[in-house]
Amino acid sequence: MSGIPVRRVARFFEQRLLSFVAGLTAVILLVLFYYPVATVFADAVLEDGGLTIEPLVAILTSEFYLVDIIWFTTKQAFYSTLASLALGLPAAWLFSRFEFPGRETLRSLTILPFVMPSIMVAIGFVATFGRNGTLNRVLSVVGLPPVELLFTLEAIIVAHAFYNAPLVARIVTAAWESVDARTVETARSLGATPRRAFRDVVLPQLLPSIGIGATLTFIFTFASFPIVLALGGFQLATIEVFVYSKVRDLAYAEAASLAVIETVISIALTAVYLRYEANQRAAGGTANPLPRQSVLPSDVTPKSTLRTAGIAGYTAIVGLVFIVPIASMILASVTGGDGGLTLSHYAFLVERQATGASFQVKPLPAIVNSLVFAGGTLLVAVPMGVTMAILTTRTYRGRGLIDVLSMAPFAVSGIVVGLGLLRGLVFGVDVFGTRISVTGALAIVAAHSVGAYPFVTRNVAPLFSRLDGRLVESARSLGATRTRALLDIELPLVWTGVVAGAAFAVAISIGEFDSTIILAEGSGSYTMPVAVERFLGRRLGPATAMGCVLLAVTSLSFFVVDRFGGRWGEL
Amino acid sequence: MKLQLDNVSKRYGTATALDSVSLSVEEGEFFTLVGPSGCGKTTTLRCIAGFESPTEGAVRFDGESMAGVPPEARGVGVVFQNYALFPHLTVGENVAYGLRFTDTPGGNSRDDRVAELLELVDLAGFEDRDPDSLSGGQQQRVALARALAPGPDLLLLDEPMSALDARLRDRLRRQVKHIQSELGVTTVYVTHDQSEALAVSDRVAVLNRGRVEQVGNPREVYHRPRTRFVAEFVGENNVFDAVVESRPETGGLRVGVGDDVFALSEGRRTFGKSAASQSESSAAPGETLTFCVRPEALRIEGGMNRIRGTIVDTEFQGATTRLRLDWDGTDVAVTVDDESGREDGRFELGSTLEVGFDPTAAHILE
Repeated sequence: MSGIPVRRVARFFEQRLLSFVAGLTAVILLVLFYYPVATVFADAVLEDGGLTIEPLVAILTSEFYLVDIIWFTTKQAFYSTLASLALGLPAAWLFSRFEFPGRETLRSLTILPFVMPSIMVAIGFVATFGRNGTLNRVLSVVGLPPVELLFTLEAIIVAHAFYNAPLVARIVTAAWESVDARTVETARSLGATPRRAFRDVVLPQLLPSIGIGATLTFIFTFASFPIVLALGGFQLATIEVFVYSKVRDLAYAEAASLAVIETVISIALTAVYLRYEANQRAAGGTANPLPRQSVLPSDVTPKSTLRTAGIAGYTAIVGLVFIVPIASMILASVTGGDGGLTLSHYAFLVERQATGASFQVKPLPAIVNSLVFAGGTLLVAVPMGVTMAILTTRTYRGRGLIDVLSMAPFAVSGIVVGLGLLRGLVFGVDVFGTRISVTGALAIVAAHSVGAYPFVTRNVAPLFSRLDGRLVESARSLGATRTRALLDIELPLVWTGVVAGAAFAVAISIGEFDSTIILAEGSGSYTMPVAVERFLGRRLGPATAMGCVLLAVTSLSFFVVDRFGGRWGEL
Repeated sequence: MKLQLDNVSKRYGTATALDSVSLSVEEGEFFTLVGPSGCGKTTTLRCIAGFESPTEGAVRFDGESMAGVPPEARGVGVVFQNYALFPHLTVGENVAYGLRFTDTPGGNSRDDRVAELLELVDLAGFEDRDPDSLSGGQQQRVALARALAPGPDLLLLDEPMSALDARLRDRLRRQVKHIQSELGVTTVYVTHDQSEALAVSDRVAVLNRGRVEQVGNPREVYHRPRTRFVAEFVGENNVFDAVVESRPETGGLRVGVGDDVFALSEGRRTFGKSAASQSESSAAPGETLTFCVRPEALRIEGGMNRIRGTIVDTEFQGATTRLRLDWDGTDVAVTVDDESGREDGRFELGSTLEVGFDPTAAHILE
């Protein structure tokens, strides 16, 4: 019978299937991420074929770079972190200790800013705080002089808080909800006052999560690009923005040197974060959480009145920061120069689509490109992310290295990946005498995939590691091979995470700006966010209209992918 | 199927989980591995199932080495403590899962086989239920049905009752034993609960620190423990270190414990169908030996070796009362008929009590 050799061959491949898929993933990462990053590093230290540290030294000894760029980047990240904590921590308190209608929904919505296209948020802030923005309109109605908030540090900080306060709230809420009420009750029974019990028992259990939230916020805002570009202009430039301006000036060596410095700082911060997070992976929920109380107090005391007033004030601030910018963008898109309602901005988009010159940015190609790139990203990032989730939750030799290598894309900014792809694969590479070059479109999908797959991994890996290993062992003792057990048992059980990860991948691809604007430079492969930015430079109205189209498409695609049974991710 | 372990060792780095374990389980036998947590019983089971491979030694099914044979090719049914039912499949789909990979035993349809198994575990008609909707005991029976469905040659049970309450555990234990003897499937059962081990097993292996301390039928292990560990782990026991005083012409031994001198007898006794076990020592006068006496063998009336101590603790247990005596600084456990001490308050804390044991009730350890 030929059954036995066939089965043996099948088993041979099966046992190596994971290695094979892992190898493929490694090759993809190498080509799409490590090679481009290495290209940037090489650009920074190679000159005419020789090794040089001159560009790096030039930057690190220049007062302009050290003070105006690097110090400013650090400073705005620090203030943004403080603002995010100030805005996020009360939300964590409300979510974990109070009961009110829509609490669960609001809590789920805290993930939204994270996947919102940053250029759209920037538009929203321009529409709110700009010279003719909502804020100044309100001020003029009540007879106050207009304020100029655009192109100030404050605007950047508030926009960063928009992004990161929900992240802080999310992480701290999870920790707060996993505080075991019995620990507080024990402290109280031993004589601690409520305040003292909070300080001695609850706060120490929250601090790690606050630290994680703050570190992540710092990392994200340190590498922030579109927000600073749109709200700070080139006057207030972070490293990212300056790299971009150098790329536009075709000063690649200088851009690369700056990018290298940024990447080194980011990687160091991320390494600190990962270490910290690994030590603090305690928050796993409790069967016995702290009780929730109603936001409306049952009896009126000075203390409860003060608290209610505080909550009301906080709610107003949240409304101002989170709802007004989006509402302002929508409002601005239908407001004419005279302040009346108009659809002229949308008409402009339609007209541009119909009659625009070939070098002009048209809306339809932007939408089509965005969707096509999102589809491509889905195809590459989801299998990659799931494979990485499997690799990072199994135990084997050398796993620590895999963990670090797989999370590195998390630490390297899109600008750097985009720059590397542009300088390498897009301009062309010699491989064994053959010139290989890819189109901007392919490079964009590559950059999006590299940016998106860690989110798939982060959504799927916790589900994998929470799976009881005995499920797989049961399946195997019943006759399933390792791969069959993966397909029959594990994947169906982590499916919600895969769907949530896919939703993230789509949202990130559609909203991605950093690498896209570099790779789309001069080519026809611009996306919606790039279109928004190009309109923003000339006319606010069409930019907000395009922003609304982006909002609609993002919401729709996110909704469609999320519908297939997923719940929000774990981040 | 006959299962053999030949000098199986399992090391993790420098830690030794199993140290040269050799066992032989006969066709159709209900064999139990018992020991405290960390003794290696679960590791042994995992080596048999193929989830772990031994660092040294061999696991043999009917004489054939299983080295390199993956779990799915071993034809072994496994039931875990936490049931490990597939949460996304119904009860019926769980039981049918193993039938995807093999022909249905008896040539019936899969559905018939599933119905047959569910009936066997008293869950007929539960096919379409979700595992989540079942109680712990029901889930465990589904897990058993799932493991048995493909008709395994060997059934492995890893602490299957630990998560259940005492009453349910008793009932399920009897049911498992009943099903096992009905099907005649060779079974290896892992538990830390020695009373459970004694209750269900044909034979028991007591494991400690990765080594086999003793293998035997339950009575043998209980009455004739080989080592101090077995004596103290299986049931309650009083273990004494003694010095041999003399070997009288009439046989037996005279040993000294502290200031007291006891007579011990040496002899053979058999338990069940297992081979004779013995209680004897080659210790010469002046040398030391260790012996044990069960609490229930210490009697208030009779027994030629008398112990006089102070009652330091009493525990009413229904039919019996357990006492702790302080005998010149040594703790001695005594189980007495509750009625025997009632009338005159002899079990008052602090009062003196004299108990005795027969020379044949003492068992000399290795």
